[in-house]
Amino acid sequence: MEILRGVLPVLCLAIWLLVIPFGMGLFVSCVIPGRDRTPGAVFITGYLLLLALFELAGIPVVILVTYDSFTLLSRIFMALSIAAAAAGFVLMIRKTVREEGYFAGGEGTFGRITLEEGLYWLLFLALLGFQLYMAFTRASFDGDDAYYGAQGTIAVQMDSLYRINPYTGRSAPLDVRHALALFPIWEAFIAGMSGIHPVIVMHSVMPLLLIPLTYLLYFRIGKELFGRKRIMLPVFMILMALFQIFGNVSVYTNETFFLTRTWQGKSVAGNFILPAVFWIFLNLFDDNWDEWPGHVWMERTERENRGYFLVLACLNLAAGAASSLAVLLSCLLTAGLGLLFAVRYRKFGVLVRAGLACVPGAAYVLTYLVIR
Amino acid sequence: MYGIFMESLVIFKLYTGLRFLIVLFALSWIYLLFAEKDKKRRLLFVAAPPLILLAFLFPVSRKIFVAAGLDGQTYYRILWTVPMGLITAYGMCRAFEAHRRIGLVICALLVILCGSFVYKSGYIQKAENPYHIPDTVIRICDLIAPGEEEGHVMVVVPEELVYFVRQYNARIRMPYGREMIEGQWDYYNEVHEAMEETEIIDLEKLLEATRKEYCQYIVINPTRKVKGDAKELGLQLLADIEGYRIYRDPVAAAEVESWQQYYGEDQD
Repeated sequence: MEILRGVLPVLCLAIWLLVIPFGMGLFVSCVIPGRDRTPGAVFITGYLLLLALFELAGIPVVILVTYDSFTLLSRIFMALSIAAAAAGFVLMIRKTVREEGYFAGGEGTFGRITLEEGLYWLLFLALLGFQLYMAFTRASFDGDDAYYGAQGTIAVQMDSLYRINPYTGRSAPLDVRHALALFPIWEAFIAGMSGIHPVIVMHSVMPLLLIPLTYLLYFRIGKELFGRKRIMLPVFMILMALFQIFGNVSVYTNETFFLTRTWQGKSVAGNFILPAVFWIFLNLFDDNWDEWPGHVWMERTERENRGYFLVLACLNLAAGAASSLAVLLSCLLTAGLGLLFAVRYRKFGVLVRAGLACVPGAAYVLTYLVIR
Repeated sequence: MYGIFMESLVIFKLYTGLRFLIVLFALSWIYLLFAEKDKKRRLLFVAAPPLILLAFLFPVSRKIFVAAGLDGQTYYRILWTVPMGLITAYGMCRAFEAHRRIGLVICALLVILCGSFVYKSGYIQKAENPYHIPDTVIRICDLIAPGEEEGHVMVVVPEELVYFVRQYNARIRMPYGREMIEGQWDYYNEVHEAMEETEIIDLEKLLEATRKEYCQYIVINPTRKVKGDAKELGLQLLADIEGYRIYRDPVAAAEVESWQQYYGEDQD
């Protein structure tokens, strides 16, 4: 019984932080080209859908429901996420049974690895392990936690969302400035599901997820950048890890946020959401597929590109979980890069699709302005 | 306009910390400017960054940012849309591709020397527990925490503990929180004045203020000098945790209990 009590929270964390997001990724990834559908890409897109769905479920609850709002949000999100994840797993099984295969083929990164490559990967894993160890064993003080940490605890212990002053505990009108940024509430949801205190989830559990998740994104970006020059990928990852560890040149850099405020939405915005926009744009169009072993050169069709814009639309809503500024930045980046691509590739449709991908973000901003 | 431009420039300088990491970024960007032939990557890593930087420094951008109701102090976050780490690492990899072993060593050393080790920050210390909040706070909160049916308790704690109490237990209220401590807010609170704004805490004055706020508990910092006898003033010393004295005020407690019984749990 005692063992079960110890194992159960870990099992719940594994389900809600790994299995469900992966299932959601399987669901949303069916819109991207099959050759891009790697487990890593699935996991990243899963988190984009997860955060977008949490915003979609959470915003009406936060605005309209005063009492027992966290319980209600938890139930709605639980149903939505389980449904999306189940649909994803069904899709994958169906494709596997029909022998179409769900995941991208090819040799992969770790097939026939050379000694030098292996050593580079070991070095990168050591740097990653060091960051995870430090995140778990070192407490980083940040004044904003008095807000975000307390909001998570309030959600779980008081069943209230943004209607209690986190600093004092007094009842308060809806805190409009933060009410739409639900990242701490998602962390509270994980706490509620696992039975672990929200502050432990934020400070000790989340870095163990968010740091590898961010590197997974950089890994995908690296794969796009280096193609067949596989040995450069771990070199790139080592330099990225060092840049994160030594990027603390001021308190403002996203690298500083990454390792000192990992669990806060703004860190997720700076290190995961915004770089993910670059990852999606790197995946658009065709340039380097001939460089990949095991792949045949294929021009990306308009339809395939369209799938990525759907992921981008998810991303622009997911950014709202971090902050209202993150939505603006991700939308501006989407529109700006869309414009650059439209001009350079002479495809006006890119700009239109980039604009459409900003619609969820625009709806978020509009909601913010209305309730302000 | 020129003033706003200069302000933005100062924000940029503060962002870079005037460390050489920004030079590494610039060198990588310049290398990619000449060496990168791929259309897509040129757009993302060569064309976009200077455009974003120009937009950042352009005074009208800052005006729009503030006019949109966004906090001017977060303007620097526009710079997060320039993936400096990605561009630097990619540019380095491309530059040293042919000599990757020595290239990796040199680039790694450059990043280490030009950057700043994040874990040397004074704000990072060994965690005392998985909550990453001080053990003292947990012990104090466990001591005074109300039961499920009791509703809330109100406690005044020294400034250094203010940040943590409500992260640990949302049923513990405080007459003031972080908003009274940090410089950007200029609020007044009578309890804060009596607790923190004098060299010696005048217990009688503090008690007068805390009773107005119905504080059942008072926590005194071990290093603070106190004027007045707690016992004579009717305070009960509950415990001494790591030197912090935790007092219960029976007068405030009785008052809270009486209106909690009368009105139910919640009273603000």
